[in-house]
Amino acid sequence: MARAHRVAAIAVFSTVLYFLAFFQYVSVPFVSESTALALLPVLPWWLLVSFGAYSLWSLGWGLFTFRDCPEAYQELLGEITAAKNDLRSKGVTVD
Amino acid sequence: MNPFESTPAVTMQGQFNTSDTHKYSVILPTYNERKNLPVIVWLLAKTFQENGLEWEVIVVDDASPDGTQDIAKELANVYGEDKILLRPRAGKLGLGTAYIHGLNFVTGDFVIIMDADFSHHPKFIPQFIQLQKAHNLDIVTGTRYRSTSTPYLEEASPGGVHGWDLKRKLVSRGANFLASTVLSPGVSDLTGSFRLYRLPVLRHIISETVSKGYVFQMEMMVRARALGYSVGEVPITFVDRIFGESKLGADEIVSYGKGVWALFTTV
Repeated sequence: MARAHRVAAIAVFSTVLYFLAFFQYVSVPFVSESTALALLPVLPWWLLVSFGAYSLWSLGWGLFTFRDCPEAYQELLGEITAAKNDLRSKGVTVD
Repeated sequence: MNPFESTPAVTMQGQFNTSDTHKYSVILPTYNERKNLPVIVWLLAKTFQENGLEWEVIVVDDASPDGTQDIAKELANVYGEDKILLRPRAGKLGLGTAYIHGLNFVTGDFVIIMDADFSHHPKFIPQFIQLQKAHNLDIVTGTRYRSTSTPYLEEASPGGVHGWDLKRKLVSRGANFLASTVLSPGVSDLTGSFRLYRLPVLRHIISETVSKGYVFQMEMMVRARALGYSVGEVPITFVDRIFGESKLGADEIVSYGKGVWALFTTV
């Protein structure tokens, strides 16, 4: 079963549950009728906006914490020179 | 069950003649790497010798016109025919098949795959090996996006990239976010190709992988997770394009999106 199928199955199941509650065939436990009626219509939009906010935060944080490594670059340049000299002395054609 | 006869107890120690008891085979696919190959082999040899590890490098050259194979033969004279194995192919046949070809000649029990253009530095290999041993992992992958390793390793230094401007970093983070959300792969760097694999694990995963190009690397990791293999991550520094600028075209971005979708619907 591919991931797409698993995601689709969960999505269909959640949607059916949501519409059952929305059209009041099933009552939502632990909350009163009026609270459920007020919250359910906006639930999908809330999920969408939350996902958008999370995505933006994730991208921003990822960019902010993306490290540069100039010291690795310098170290590598030095090692390349050392390697070329050593190999030249051993008879390998470098460059 | 007798714990001394459990699978980890029986297989954890290797058969080779070093204190480490394992042999590490590096598969290096090359195309026009005449300038880089000697240096990368020198760095690999130095790292393995300093850490007392048994090693070999398998150079899979796709008929490079610039004489890469001659350089490989000279290196084999310096380091030994048993250490530098040149196994060329008739033409430019792609990365995935290069690994499959290289796997035919592996005599070690662990395989390391990496790029030959200095973007992956061999100095991280001992950290990969240390993490693998500490937790008996099947795969250890390098990540450019983390500062600490998972599981924890004290010697790990923070990862990073050199040579990327802000736009390139944004594209990279966006691509990674897309893949993480859609595929939930459990690793922070899905497109990275600096990895240590246990040999039977690599053989199994490669036999199941179908895509081509660099989506191949992504698919290997996603399949590994789906098959239940244990994966650890070590932060690495990635020096991109030591000569020249890093470019990423729209075509590559589109093919990346297609690759993620293909993985989503098939794995």
